[in-house]
Amino acid sequence: MERTHRLELFPERSVTLLLFQHVKNAAALRKKAMEGSMEGALINPAMIVDPFQILVAANKAVHLQKIGKMKTRTLYAEIIFSLSPSNNISDAFKKFGISDSDTAVLIVLVVDGDKNVNLADITSQVEGQQVSLDELPQLTDTAKVKKMYKVTPQEEKIGTLLDSVVCRMSTKDVL
Amino acid sequence: FLGRAAVAKLRVPKRYRHPALEERLSRRRMAQEARSLLRCRRAGIPAPVVYFVDYVTNSIYLEDIVDSITVQDHIYSVQKSGNDTSDLHKLAEKMGELLARMHDEDIIHGDLTTANLLLRPPTDSLDLVLIDFGLSFISGLPEDKGVDLYVLEKAFISTHPDTEAMFQVLLKTYAATSKKSGPVIKKLDEVRLRGRKRSMIG
Repeated sequence: MERTHRLELFPERSVTLLLFQHVKNAAALRKKAMEGSMEGALINPAMIVDPFQILVAANKAVHLQKIGKMKTRTLYAEIIFSLSPSNNISDAFKKFGISDSDTAVLIVLVVDGDKNVNLADITSQVEGQQVSLDELPQLTDTAKVKKMYKVTPQEEKIGTLLDSVVCRMSTKDVL
Repeated sequence: FLGRAAVAKLRVPKRYRHPALEERLSRRRMAQEARSLLRCRRAGIPAPVVYFVDYVTNSIYLEDIVDSITVQDHIYSVQKSGNDTSDLHKLAEKMGELLARMHDEDIIHGDLTTANLLLRPPTDSLDLVLIDFGLSFISGLPEDKGVDLYVLEKAFISTHPDTEAMFQVLLKTYAATSKKSGPVIKKLDEVRLRGRKRSMIG
């Protein structure tokens, strides 16, 4: 149900994604994540078009962590920041992180090596139903994503929404 | 790269350059490439998607246009089999149109050759993709656009015999598509008269 992907550029790290629906304790989860008592980046699935988007963000975050050039304080915060097209950290959290009223949550974990991902620990803390990542497209708010990333109509003709999103994410700090 | 076909462009350090210069140049070229690629995409000009930019190793990870062939290879095969005019005529039109759109966005490719233009499969769909923006920059000057076209013309004629007519078609479509083409074509004629002109940028 959950999906794990190895980062080719950082072979010792793997990224696991878990998707939950009908979540009742979003507020509590957010608090736990902020305090640091819960592992993982808690992301609003409406802003995510495809798991690839998360992987690209995670890849960038891990890279920056390795060279000590993260803009935020933790790896998970950095992942959320990397998703955002803006350079404002709090804005990134507001738009891509979960809010207290959310009923769907996407959790991203990054682990070293083949350390067993403590899934049960995470799933037990969520008061909701874990679903397969195949459900993600249904949860995506395409209009919101387009607006957030400022995707132009011409762009839509030459590629998918995911293409536009990923391109902006990866070139955010070049301009 | 994370499940998608990708191309990794690593900048091979040129040992003959002074290290400080090497560092700066690599960084700048990479940034220019990423910037131009993003700009192209936003304008709806087909170019690879940027997946990841590594400022440490100065490498960039791009979308791999799977099963594509370069326009260069395509022209070779068409000329070999002998059904010249009609196919290549359409291709030239498409190229002219694409370049006009690119220049209208003030994007100068910097290294226009038939090897830097890909055709997505199926080849007959004439679905073009521009690649290799390492030497690209942003400029509105007709001079720069004229030089861009001149580079392509030179590349065309030297790599593909008997393609003067094809290039003329390309230019015609370019002039028809681009709103600012007048001054550019004028500059192109001027540059031709000058001989081999080297762009002095970067």
